[in-house]
Amino acid sequence: MQERTLDFIEPETSVKVLKVTGQKSSRKRILDMGLTPGTKVEVIRRAPLGDPVKFKLKGYNLSLRKKEAETVLVEIIE
Amino acid sequence: MEQHYGKTEITFAALAGLLYTISGIYHIAEGIGIDIGIYEGMARSLFISGDILGGFCLVVTGAVFLYGFKEMMQGINAGVSFLYVGILMSLVFMMIYLLIMGGNLLDSFIVPEDYEGWSIMETFRPGIYLGILSIAGLLYWRDRFSLHEVLALREGA
Amino acid sequence: MTEKITVALAGNPNVGKTSIFNAITGSKQHVGNWPGVTVERKMGKRKHKDVEMQVVDLPGTYSLTAYSLDEIIARDFIIEEKPDIVVQVIDATNLERNLYLTTQLMELGTRLIIALNMTDLALAKGDSIDVQKMQEFLEVPVISTIGSRGGGIEELLDSVTKEIHRTRTSENIFVYGVEIEKSAEELENVLAEDPYFSHYPSRWFSMKLLEGDENIIKKAEESENYPQIRKILQRTDADSFEAKIADQRYKTIQTMLRQVCNINTDRLSGSDMVDRVVTNKYLGIPIFLSLMWAAFEITFTFATPFMNIIDIFFGWLAETAAGVITVSWLASLVGDGMIAGVGSVLIFLPNILLLFFMISLMEDSGYMSRAAFIMDKVMSKIGLHGKSFIPLIMGFGCNVPAIMATRTIEDSRDRLITILITPFMSCGARLPVYVLLAGAFFGRDAGIVIFGLYALGIFVALISAKLMRSTIVKGEDTPFIMELPSYKIPTLKGSILHMWERGKIYLKKAGGIILIGVVGVWILASIPAPGSGGTFASEEIYGTTDSMIGFIGQIIEPLVAPLGFDWKIAVALLFGVVAKEIVVGSMGVLYGVGDNEDSLSEILAAGAMTPLAGLGLMVFTLLYVPCFACIGVIKRETGSWKWTAFQLFYGTGLAWIFAFVLYQVGSRMGLFA
Repeated sequence: MQERTLDFIEPETSVKVLKVTGQKSSRKRILDMGLTPGTKVEVIRRAPLGDPVKFKLKGYNLSLRKKEAETVLVEIIE
Repeated sequence: MEQHYGKTEITFAALAGLLYTISGIYHIAEGIGIDIGIYEGMARSLFISGDILGGFCLVVTGAVFLYGFKEMMQGINAGVSFLYVGILMSLVFMMIYLLIMGGNLLDSFIVPEDYEGWSIMETFRPGIYLGILSIAGLLYWRDRFSLHEVLALREGA
Repeated sequence: MTEKITVALAGNPNVGKTSIFNAITGSKQHVGNWPGVTVERKMGKRKHKDVEMQVVDLPGTYSLTAYSLDEIIARDFIIEEKPDIVVQVIDATNLERNLYLTTQLMELGTRLIIALNMTDLALAKGDSIDVQKMQEFLEVPVISTIGSRGGGIEELLDSVTKEIHRTRTSENIFVYGVEIEKSAEELENVLAEDPYFSHYPSRWFSMKLLEGDENIIKKAEESENYPQIRKILQRTDADSFEAKIADQRYKTIQTMLRQVCNINTDRLSGSDMVDRVVTNKYLGIPIFLSLMWAAFEITFTFATPFMNIIDIFFGWLAETAAGVITVSWLASLVGDGMIAGVGSVLIFLPNILLLFFMISLMEDSGYMSRAAFIMDKVMSKIGLHGKSFIPLIMGFGCNVPAIMATRTIEDSRDRLITILITPFMSCGARLPVYVLLAGAFFGRDAGIVIFGLYALGIFVALISAKLMRSTIVKGEDTPFIMELPSYKIPTLKGSILHMWERGKIYLKKAGGIILIGVVGVWILASIPAPGSGGTFASEEIYGTTDSMIGFIGQIIEPLVAPLGFDWKIAVALLFGVVAKEIVVGSMGVLYGVGDNEDSLSEILAAGAMTPLAGLGLMVFTLLYVPCFACIGVIKRETGSWKWTAFQLFYGTGLAWIFAFVLYQVGSRMGLFA
């Protein structure tokens, strides 16, 4: 299983969160929004200009800039 | 997979798409003064006047319908959502044009000197009469536009 | 006997907290700011069964960390003010993430009641929730509500009155694993020794210490026992604990949800379908722009008749007053000063009300966050948030409502910068100045010149934002973590209430400043200049060289001379602070042609000014001090005279530099002579 950062995942792919890195303040917020290790996240689509990206997790929609998505380590669910 | 749309949806999207796009282009052409081979009398009888930004909005609405048409022809189920959003958008613009019409009418009573020789029909726009088509669409597919607070454009299922 | 209690409303953003608040308090609301910050605080009153409730609407938050101002405000209120009851409003269609905040509120030791809102939508979506079981699991009352239609509000209030007399029995149902629990217990023991901590719920406090919460660690440092606390904390790894704690909270929630509800997940929801269209790669931006056009038309075009009514009414009132009052200076003060002043405050009201109506529709429907999603890439280039785009666009109509519209931006630094750069967007009042001057000097090319001015405004705004971001409003970028809530049909009542609230704030908070400014200019224009021998407030001297303002104009002439302006222009610019379109009118008076714009245009074209100086004047008009109304709202929205003054000096400084360079370089090169 390959470890990747969330910003590299193509739309319409499902992934599982492994770890959240990055600065404390943004890491905390990302965790609070439910991107805890083990959570299943669907990459839905990118904004028309390519950034930010829309995700679906825990039954709701979340958008992160690539800069924030970069701090989330994930693996693709086959 | 079950198809969530039929011929009616496809035809509606194509028709509304073409009508909105063409009216929008004429609006823009009139606005920047290009002659694209439309008779002056015809433009007047269709209430098309120079309106670049308003024309842009009609073109966008038309494009939404046509995009839905394209996706539905390709057999993409969710393509039908372009039809629903197109209907909502055209109703929004119809509303805006009607409000502006009302506002102008009100203004003509307040400052009549600015409105000499003006008639209410000068603010009548294709955006208004084309909207009637969308009202028909809204009524026809009313069960898809859930009356609950969520715009649950249900998947037809 | 009536009992007085405080009820705090907590909850995530977009869960219908405002509609619950409105349903509870009705029109008895008071909008102010939280002490010391510009975050809005809403309070209201409600009497229910002999209990008088003071309802406080806490900022909408997803969590209670120390990383956002909103969250600190919410948690400090709960800890310091100790409300009798906290009602958490929960979106029933989105339980898992909403309950995350619940876990934290429970740890805070509050007397909690859950308002399970939008239950009708959850039902329509195909979810089923066992409220009774949920209540048993959480050990707090859970009441189903439908805020938008006032459903369940009575039951909620009944529950509040019942709950205040019950001793709290709810125990912590959240266990975080052996390692964390052991450290937490040690910490709790240390905390128990120092009475300083008795103010805080000890378990919550120790959890926050273990999570490495900076705000809480700072509080702990004040205790004598801090060395002991530090010793325990040094043994632990805050980074891994914080992930574990968040994880454990979600796990507990999941365990509960499996038992109490059945969530229908396998269908493309209506919201997803709409999103497919409005955030489409090709159509997303055009759709956004066309909706902006719609909002713009309503705010500005549709407002015209209402503005005309206000204008005509105050014109008539001023004339009538002048006719009735026989003392001429008093007639002028009342007519040209005070009534005109009140008129200039009210004239913006239609714009403000309509813009906020449109904004409310966009926010309540859920489209606002999509707009931010679509435009964020562009705005992030200058260090701002996607939500800054809408105020800037609205600035082309009028800067006043546009600045008020920055309320939708959550981050305080992004908001501040957006407020400071909005005045550079060429508003509708500047257009008459451009039309007259560009028409007089550039004839056929007027259109290009005007377009250039709009472009210059945008350019200055963008550069300024970038500049401020890296200098005076520094700080790390706030992470862009934004929920895209489900679409909902906005309620007319909610939108009207929102619009009315904004209108009231404008009149109360900005109105005074505008009025003082307008009357101040009237006084300057009416006092005779030293040694001129004119009579105070006589028509002959009003605004002319014989008045104080003319005198000041002559004094400051050397300041504007390098820009190619004479004292008349200086005076016209001073008047322009009342409202920018007045620049044209006062030039007419000063050049002795009165109100006739055509003859003013002829005089100018005939050589009263060089086209180059005319161009400089347009640039100056674009950038210098915004009008009084704008100053008023900048003060109100930044909450600071310092930032208001900064905007004035920065703008005027830039205006001077641009006009100076233009005139000096241009005249050396012989341009537009």
